[in-house]
This record gives sequence, structure tokens and C-alpha cells, in this order.
Amino acid sequence: MPAPTATADLKVGDVAGYADIAFEEKQRIVSLVIDDPRFTDYLYGCYECGICVAACPSARFYDFSPRRIAQALARRDVRLVYQQIQEDIWECSQCFSCLRCPRGNNPGGLVTIMREVAVNNGLASAREALEGYSRIIYKIMSTGTQVSPDMLQPDAFPDWGPEVKDVSDNLALWRRALPPETLHTVSTGWDVSDQTLIELYLIWFETGALNMIGEVDKGLHMILEEVMQDRLEEAGIEI
Amino acid sequence: MSGQRIVVLGGGPAGLNAALGVADLGQQVLLVEPREFLGGTPVAERYASITGSFEDAETAMARLAGRLTESALAEVRLGTRAISLEGSPGDMRIGLEGPGGSEVVTCGSVIVATGFQHFDPGRETQLYGYYEYPDVLALQDLESMLKDRAVVRPSNGQPPERLCFVQCVGSRDRNIGNEYCSKVCCGVASKEAIEVREQLPNCEVFIFYIDMRMYGYWESQIYWPAQERHHVQYVKGIITEVLERNGRLLVRGEDTTMGRPMEVLMDMVVLSVGMEPSAGTREMARILGLAQNKYGFIDAPGSPLDTVTTSRPGVFAAGAALGPSDLEDCASSAGLAALRAVSVLRQSEMIGT
Repeated sequence: MPAPTATADLKVGDVAGYADIAFEEKQRIVSLVIDDPRFTDYLYGCYECGICVAACPSARFYDFSPRRIAQALARRDVRLVYQQIQEDIWECSQCFSCLRCPRGNNPGGLVTIMREVAVNNGLASAREALEGYSRIIYKIMSTGTQVSPDMLQPDAFPDWGPEVKDVSDNLALWRRALPPETLHTVSTGWDVSDQTLIELYLIWFETGALNMIGEVDKGLHMILEEVMQDRLEEAGIEI
Repeated sequence: MSGQRIVVLGGGPAGLNAALGVADLGQQVLLVEPREFLGGTPVAERYASITGSFEDAETAMARLAGRLTESALAEVRLGTRAISLEGSPGDMRIGLEGPGGSEVVTCGSVIVATGFQHFDPGRETQLYGYYEYPDVLALQDLESMLKDRAVVRPSNGQPPERLCFVQCVGSRDRNIGNEYCSKVCCGVASKEAIEVREQLPNCEVFIFYIDMRMYGYWESQIYWPAQERHHVQYVKGIITEVLERNGRLLVRGEDTTMGRPMEVLMDMVVLSVGMEPSAGTREMARILGLAQNKYGFIDAPGSPLDTVTTSRPGVFAAGAALGPSDLEDCASSAGLAALRAVSVLRQSEMIGT
């Protein structure tokens, strides 16, 4: 795989909304995408048939095109790929409808790699995209469950109708009415065992997933790290 | 009657195949070629390789020519051209002019395989500067460089760092008058692009196109490998003009994929010129009295189910004299022309002429 070159781009333009960075830094970031071991399985060649765009739900609502993602990477167009990392890729819903590509490309998978690179390198767009999700990230990483019943506040969901107030006022009671005992919880989606939590925390530490959060949200990273370290220490595990 | 022969005009891929077909059917054949060698345009223009198989073009054509010259039923006359034709199917007299003067040869039927010539990119498309900038080439110019393994910018002798092809030059253009697709240029340009990438791994190669027409197996033989293994960059959008900029070539076009105009610097620009009837094809159509289509190629009124029978009984055509043809087309129409030409003799035999 040839490295992207300084002159391969077919477009000169800067990313709107973010401070521009040196070309060499863009090149480094784009190389991380192209050198990813999954890359060669996700991008063969594109004949611009547009079937990925036709299948793409995001393309209906945003100025987003999986075809442009594949094309820009196929061309090793450093400036354009960097621009897409900062802008386009956050409009993909990662539904992978684009996998119907007749050439066997996986534009959604390319977006996955690009997002990982954006998060790992603390790009401004990644920070911004994840800003609204800090509570969800906290919930998933600290409990292993995403949405908990106590997040169901009537103020937050007026469109759910008047019943939601009754449900949230008597949440514990409603939850106890559910037959499986593992669902008699309000602060997590289901009852998470100690063993599961400890294994989960170890996975976050060992895989570097926790460090990824550090690149985009330092405060959240600090809180999570403390919660996890305390729990692991209780279990006699030193990190 | 078995002594009666068939005359084939043209010693390129179609003519050689047609003559071989006639000999294989057990009939005498006389092949007439104005050039001093066999092999036709692939040899005359020094093509590097056969599109599709990537075999050395000279070797492939020499093999075909060798099979013919080894045949006891075949005779080849080089430096010779046809100047007249009289008679009717089964009993024709063709006038030939060669190194030994002129003579009239009797034959049962004639196969015209006088081929094509490359569109002259200076004829209408001055915007590409073919005669203005030394680093603007045509497909056959690059073939010759690839054959010598010496792809360099004619302006300075240095290998190019960026090279692009411009497709459909002289084809599919109402203004030029060539409304047809020349059929082979997508495959040939992609093949040359692969060869450039192999010979000059540091040279980036772009192909600017209207739509890529990679028939049948060319898809997996050429197009996909060009993109996937050799990272040739295909950009949909045709170049409108080539300008000189600080010793390099600035090409201007639309990047339709990204939906915006583009200007890119190149070291070499290769024009994917199409096919036009060769001077020989036009001349033979006139001398033999064959109807031509509006583009000057020899007309086959029974096409598409009979691609080789011309407007004159007893005269058949093969290969690119009939219109844009790849080598497979040449082999196919040559085979059919041989069969039809021989069948004229057999029918004459049956009715006792």
C-alpha cells in the first residue's frame, strides 16, 4: 500500500469550523486509517455505481455519501479524507446497508476505522460528536448497561405522554412487577453481577478503551478511572 | 477448383487470422500487405503488449504470422497493394501492384482487412495541445515507450511522477463526427496504466473518463487489478483543456464524484485516442466499390448477424476495417470472413462455374 503523498489530492480546501492543522499531521492521521489492518478488506475499488448511497439512510438526511468516503480513500486524497474525518463520518449511522457494494467494499467499515482514529487522536470533531454522550458513555463503561430506568424522567420525555410521570414516580414498584429478578433494578438496565463488572473494567483498561475516552473527555476519563480502580482494588486487583 | 484461391488484403490481426482460416479450410490463400512486414498496427506502432493477456505484442503477432507463412497453402506478398477488382463471386480478377510491377491475379473471393488508424488528436481537439506540448502523448506513443521500458517525459527525459490518461479523445463526440465508442481505449489505457505503475512504482497514475467500458473479462483482467492492486486512480470527469504551468501540465476538468471543478498538475498527459478507418480502408472501399458507413468504415449491411458480408458480392471484410474492434473481434470476424469467402468457392463448385 503506497503511503499518501503530498500531491495526490484533487482538492484544496480546509475544514470549516475547526482550526486547520499542518499537512504532515493530516497525512499522519490519514495514514493511520490506510494502515489499519482491516483497511484492505474494506476497500477494493469503486466504480461509482452509487448503490451504497442509494441504500444509505444518512444520505437521505445529510450531505453524506459512502461513495465519497470510498473514493477519497481510494485516491489517498489526504486533505479530503481528513476533512471527511472531521465532518462526514459523524453523519453515518453505522447500519452497514452499504455492504451491498458489488465490489465487496465496506464504506461503513471505513467510517468505523476513521472514527476510531478520530477518537484515538482526540480530534475536535470526535470531542464534539461525543459531547452529548458523556452520560451514556459513563453509564456503559461504569455499569455495562446503556439506558437505565431512572433516566426515564418526565421532563426529558414530554412526548411520551402523561403516563411517564406515573411510571417514573413509582419506578421501583413497576420494575418489581417484571417477572425476571435481574430486571428489578432502577439505576442499571439489569442487574450486573460483581464478577461481570470486574471483568468489564479489566477489559476497558487492558484494551485501551478507557484511554480512548481520555483523548476526548478528560473529566469523564478521570471519574471513570477512579470508579474502576476502586472497584478493582476492592477485588484485590492492582492496575 | 481446389486450385482457386482467396485474396486477403491486410496482414494485421484480422488479415492474418482470416488467411489462416482460409488455409485451415484447405483453400489456397494469397495475403497482400502494403507494408514490408506482417503484424499490422500492433507491430507498426510498436505496441508493448496485448490488452487482456499482457503478452508481448510483437511475439504474439509473430506467432500468428509464423503459422501462416509455414502453411503450404498460403502465399504472402509484402510491399504490395490492390489497385483494381473485376468479375463476380467465384471468378474475380484483382489487380496488384508490388515490387515486381503490377499483375492481375484470379481469385474466387476477397477479404478486406485493412484496419484502422489512431484518431489524430491534433485534428479537432487542439485544447489538449498534442502538437504543442511534448509531454502530451497518445496511447500508441506510450505503448512504444512501455515496450522500450523507457517511460520518460519527452521534454526533459525524466520519468514522470504524475501521469494521466484522458479517455474518449476523438470518440463519442458529435462535434468531431465520431459518435461511436472506439471500444478498446478503456481497456488499453487501463492496461498501460498498470504497466506504468509496474515500470515506475513511484509514478501516480490517473484516468479521467466519461464511463469505463470494460467488456467481459477485461473487468477482472484489467479494471479491478488496475484499481485494487496497482492503485490507478479513476476519476469520472473529462478534461476540457491542458495548459502549461511552470514546466508541468495543468489539466482542467470536473471531478464529478466530488461535484466540483478541478485543476491538477501532471507531468505527462496521455490521450486515449479512438479508432478511425485507416487510409488503406478508405482507399480499398473506393477501389473495390464497397459501401461505407457515415464514419468511413466498410459497411456490413447484414450486421449484426452477418458482420462480414459487404455491399459487393464476393467481397468480405474483417477486423477494424468494419469499425472499432478489439483483437477478439478481429479474430471472430476474420473466422467468419474466411468461412464466407471459402463458401463462395464451394458454391461455385457445386453449380459448376
